[in-house]
Amino acid sequence: MVENAITVQGLVKSYGCLRAVDGLSFEVNRGEIFAFLGPNGAGKSTTIEILECLRPQSEGLVTVLGNDVTDSRGAHGIKERIGVLPQDFSAIDRLTVKENLNLFAKMYSNSTDVGELMELLGLSEKANVRFGSLSGGQKQRVGVAASLVNDPDLIFLDEPTTGLDPDIRRTTWDIIKKLKQSGKTFFLTTHYMEEAQALAERIGVVVKGRFVALGTPSELMEKFGGQKMMIFKGGGQPVYDALQARFDGMTISGNNVDLPFSRTAEIQEALSALSQRGICCEMEEKTPTMEDVFLNLTGYTIKAGGEAA
Amino acid sequence: MSRIVAVFAAVTKNTLRSRVGLFFSALFPLMLLFVFGTVFGGGFAANWAPMLIGAFVMTNGIVALPTIATEFKRRGVLKRLSATPLSKLEWTLGNVLSQTLLAVLLTVMMVMSGWLVFGVRPVVNVYSAAILFSGAVLFSGMGMLIAGFVKDPEAASGLGNAVSFPMMFLTGTYFPLSMMPAYLQNLAQALPLYYFQSGLKAAMVTGDVAAALFDLAVTGVLAVAFIVLGSVVTRWREK
Repeated sequence: MVENAITVQGLVKSYGCLRAVDGLSFEVNRGEIFAFLGPNGAGKSTTIEILECLRPQSEGLVTVLGNDVTDSRGAHGIKERIGVLPQDFSAIDRLTVKENLNLFAKMYSNSTDVGELMELLGLSEKANVRFGSLSGGQKQRVGVAASLVNDPDLIFLDEPTTGLDPDIRRTTWDIIKKLKQSGKTFFLTTHYMEEAQALAERIGVVVKGRFVALGTPSELMEKFGGQKMMIFKGGGQPVYDALQARFDGMTISGNNVDLPFSRTAEIQEALSALSQRGICCEMEEKTPTMEDVFLNLTGYTIKAGGEAA
Repeated sequence: MSRIVAVFAAVTKNTLRSRVGLFFSALFPLMLLFVFGTVFGGGFAANWAPMLIGAFVMTNGIVALPTIATEFKRRGVLKRLSATPLSKLEWTLGNVLSQTLLAVLLTVMMVMSGWLVFGVRPVVNVYSAAILFSGAVLFSGMGMLIAGFVKDPEAASGLGNAVSFPMMFLTGTYFPLSMMPAYLQNLAQALPLYYFQSGLKAAMVTGDVAAALFDLAVTGVLAVAFIVLGSVVTRWREK
């Protein structure tokens, strides 16, 4: 039987009487991309740092790549085989990109070719530029490269695309997908719901140190995303009046009429009612997204910096 | 071992590429040597070169090193390195060795300058090399201890200066120890810099091997103690 990349049972981390992590249990399969979502202060970073052997837990059992994180020999073995991109990655300013990556590479028993890595992340032209002179996006790419220097089995990416422009973000997604195909496991946190939806096979949403949801993106959207919505653009009062008697829960926002629905037949019925009154207008279907899931589960949306709004 | 070498190479490059750091670590001591030598003559320079070398090796170790190390800590570089198999002892030793190399370079520059400008010819032998190595390791270890205790570069610099300035004055770097009251002379003998400077002077100027070996033993024991303490208290990140 293939062991899980990560197994967490009853994880608790307390600071005095505050429980930052409050009984988390989950598993991450080998070769999976698992996204860990939650607003700032939800306990994400604490959990990740426990998994990375940077912080001891108060209670619970945590194994990473088959090693117990509390065992010092196990922790050394874990660190040899994981890649880490922390939030706000930083390296030595007066060293070049290549020198910094070589420094990280030399920390491991086995390392990959730094030149190839720079090429993969579009950093070859910046190889001899000092880290301190790079833009925020370039620094972030160096961070991603540094997380791959040891050809890790499991990669922790904490906000991997924050600060990157949309093109580079998509390129980074492609790299992650490509690496996943080669069997690597990813543990990802992000403030971009679109990113979680695009990359993750399973998503855990954590609030106040506890899971409020755990499942595949489609399961979560089905369970927590709310109803699908048909928007009748510019339909206004006539559309509202025509459908009011047949459907519940309709709303007017501006000149648009929003009709919640779950079956296609309901839309056909609505179109037929409008047709009978000779009303014709543009329609747009809005399906639930991870943003909706997050909003419904936590009560707030999340801004780029991770703050709840 | 390869991790220690990698840290050593990285922090050495980082230090050598800092113009401000180089000025205060290397050029400023040379300027003082020239000023003292010019005002008081070559004989003074011969006696004072070891004192200045000792004082600046100490300052580099307990002010410059923890300032840089805490800057790495504040910016999260240490936290990132802590996610690799690098141990605290390896990090400490890499930094200590880097400072030791810089101490050797500073000494070579001071000795060469003293020789070329003032005609001073210090005794360069295995004892002076051993004392220099031992002292550089001792004060770098002390620097890593300071870096472990304080949170940020400002505090590191402040604490480093608070430790180094009294030591410099009390051990007779800028005026002879014999001018001080007896109780301060006794206090000086409780300070690590006293043994480092005394050892350098014994090995490089007077050629007193017995005195040099005694000072080497004291600095050697302290060096090991501070390296162990420095690596124990090293924190990978701000609390």
